Amino acid sequence: MKWYGYMGKILRVDLSKKKVSVEDLKPEWAKLYLGGAGFGARILWNEMKGGVDPLSPENILVASTGPLTGTLVPSSGSIFYQFKSPLTGAWGEARSGGKFGPMLKFAGFDMIIITGKADEPVYLYVEDGSAEIRSAKHLWGKTVHETTDILLEEVGRPEASVACIGPAGEKLVKFSAIMNDYDRAAGRCGGGAVMGSKNLKAIVVFGEKSIVPAKPDKFFEDALEAHEAMKKYVFREILGMLGTIGLVNALNAAGALPTMNFKTTYFPEADSMSGDMLAEKYLVKRRACFGCTIGCGRYSWVPDGKYPTPLHEGPEYETSDMLGVQSLLTDLEAVVRANYLCNNYGLDTISTGNVIAFAIEAFERGYITEEDTGGLKLRWGDPDVILTLVDAIAKREGFGDVLAEGVKKAAEKIGKGADEFAVHVKGLEVPAHDPRGESRNFVIQYAVTPRGACHMHPNWAGAYDFIPLDNGLREFGLPWPPPDKYAEVGVKRGIAYRLLALHGELAESLGICRFPLWGSEDSCLTPKRLARLYSSLTGIEVTGKDLLVAAERAWNLKRAFNIREGFDRRHDTLPKRLLEPVTTGPAKGQAVIKFDELLDEAYEAFGWDKKTGYITRKKLEELGLADVADELAKIGKIA
Amino acid sequence: MPKVLVVVPDKCTGCNRCVLACSLKHFNVMNPAFSGIYVVRIDHEPVDAPIFCSQCGLCINVCPVNAISRDPKTGAVVVDRDKCTGCGNCVAVCPIGAMTLDPEKKKAVKCDLCGGDPACIKVCPEDALKFVDAREAVFYKRFFTARLQRKELVPFKPYPRRR
Repeated sequence: MKWYGYMGKILRVDLSKKKVSVEDLKPEWAKLYLGGAGFGARILWNEMKGGVDPLSPENILVASTGPLTGTLVPSSGSIFYQFKSPLTGAWGEARSGGKFGPMLKFAGFDMIIITGKADEPVYLYVEDGSAEIRSAKHLWGKTVHETTDILLEEVGRPEASVACIGPAGEKLVKFSAIMNDYDRAAGRCGGGAVMGSKNLKAIVVFGEKSIVPAKPDKFFEDALEAHEAMKKYVFREILGMLGTIGLVNALNAAGALPTMNFKTTYFPEADSMSGDMLAEKYLVKRRACFGCTIGCGRYSWVPDGKYPTPLHEGPEYETSDMLGVQSLLTDLEAVVRANYLCNNYGLDTISTGNVIAFAIEAFERGYITEEDTGGLKLRWGDPDVILTLVDAIAKREGFGDVLAEGVKKAAEKIGKGADEFAVHVKGLEVPAHDPRGESRNFVIQYAVTPRGACHMHPNWAGAYDFIPLDNGLREFGLPWPPPDKYAEVGVKRGIAYRLLALHGELAESLGICRFPLWGSEDSCLTPKRLARLYSSLTGIEVTGKDLLVAAERAWNLKRAFNIREGFDRRHDTLPKRLLEPVTTGPAKGQAVIKFDELLDEAYEAFGWDKKTGYITRKKLEELGLADVADELAKIGKIA
Repeated sequence: MPKVLVVVPDKCTGCNRCVLACSLKHFNVMNPAFSGIYVVRIDHEPVDAPIFCSQCGLCINVCPVNAISRDPKTGAVVVDRDKCTGCGNCVAVCPIGAMTLDPEKKKAVKCDLCGGDPACIKVCPEDALKFVDAREAVFYKRFFTARLQRKELVPFKPYPRRR
């Protein structure tokens, strides 16, 4: 079969047997699951059993791209990883930019499925349709930058792309990241630890194969139309010129900047940690991922002073808030340095920042003492505390070993009711977007997102009522105008959130970044526009509605995965801290009040059972997932 | 008067959209190996630079089969891929790495200015590429050449330590 847009091949790697093989992509999968996380969800459902230890050889790591990855569609430089998360025990996924995803396609594969465990450190080298497993003994213990440098020289392809783990992944830090192209992180859920547990240090890809569009002229025309739309992108100034860190001042002004371990959402000294400050002092140039019209990447350094830091990409908004503002830091140099260390050790900056802020609060309350921390005084606003703890976590030294388990386990270990201020959902640390200050959509998102509390998977739910933007979803039933961002029930939040989530799932399955999803009909990648691009690229004619149905399939498959792992409504919660009123700033007094009613509305819109949180058979059959319904029925977990 | 394709220094973010558009327009595929423009990103250094032909024509004389000629209409140096034998002489003589051989037919690939309507400038989100008249082009060209003589900033520590 001749594939268009897709490469049509899957690379399967069994590390236990040291075997690689190439499979054909199933033709019917394209329309059903589109690609990327959609493929990953189906593979993890089909090939994994419930209850597998995430750090055992039975866990499966999928690195997948979508049909639009590596093409002229704006922001097409994505790679998606799917696995069972060692941090949460639930569905795990993470996305990264850079050029690894496109390069994997140029090497001839839509995705790599990795199973088993190597008996000693190895790396995978993929080039032009074939692959081999090579020894990585000489790389074990090396940082991300060192590993990447060595591998690019070793394979003799300076233009290859390297995805690897750092010391944190090797030490199975539960929130370690898979890094690619030096500084691009698939950060969340602990994919690094999954690679580490498999003794897989790195994946190197290089290739010169072509992505072939079905209708080249039509596709070029559609891509140009999308390019023109992205010229009108509403966040062009803030994300493009200042980077995501430009959000620090913007969100702070609205009283939506999580501060001091989420005690409040306003930081009077936010400007010292802002994108403007970065641009003024440390930014060297902007760097875009492959195919991107936005170019939010920062290339920055700290040339001298107390925290000298080499040129590297970052810091992002999340890093500046979680590693800085959450601990009341006012020294951006220290955050740039901490960002560099996290990148180089292979740590997720969101989770790292969250556990550190948690530890400082625990210390302040006297739940832990200098005895626990090895003499380190944990104080708010002390840059050296952050940098020391980043080191300790990555190396699992002393107190860092406790924090390396994630905030949920750390709170359990500390005890004394420390879980009261451990801010996570399902064990995934809450990132720097606050449902109280920004948008009540995050109440639903944090509670139900398959991987736990996340601001980006499946979508940035705040775009709807915080900005507000319709993302071109009105024709699919998005309630418009949006409600007040603080309004909770009775304002069709469930219906709206479902569409926002499916639009996000669409980006994950089609293989693009989700930043270009936000805007209006003529200024972003709407489902309609994506359908046009997908049709002329792959030759498979679809409408925006077809795409959203495929996205809903993936969304429910991920839910089904979690249900099989024992998750239900009881786990769709918010941490106590986010239910308490905000203490200062423009959002002062805001708290989430009608959590249960809001969740009811969301379940109703999704077609999930309100009592148990299970998916209804009706919903699954409507999506053509009767086999999934049967499986779930066998374990009595269907409504 | 033929127009000239020039790069505006410092604007490129390394997104590679020009590369994708070039291979799509000329070969109906998306593949950097089939592109007449190539973006080089240098690791540990603040360099993202589109490399493309300056249409100097050095390659014309080293082609043993006369497959390379200058298009009188656009001023572009163009390759006749039917005549090309893939000897690689043109790649060897090109001073800036703008000429390449494709991985499939092993024949020469280079920028031909799309017959006077370059696809790359249409997809550059930063307007880092310009297709301008000779008098305007000379400004960018001189700017570009002058940068080669730039004194490095002191202290210049692009990659002071690894850890």
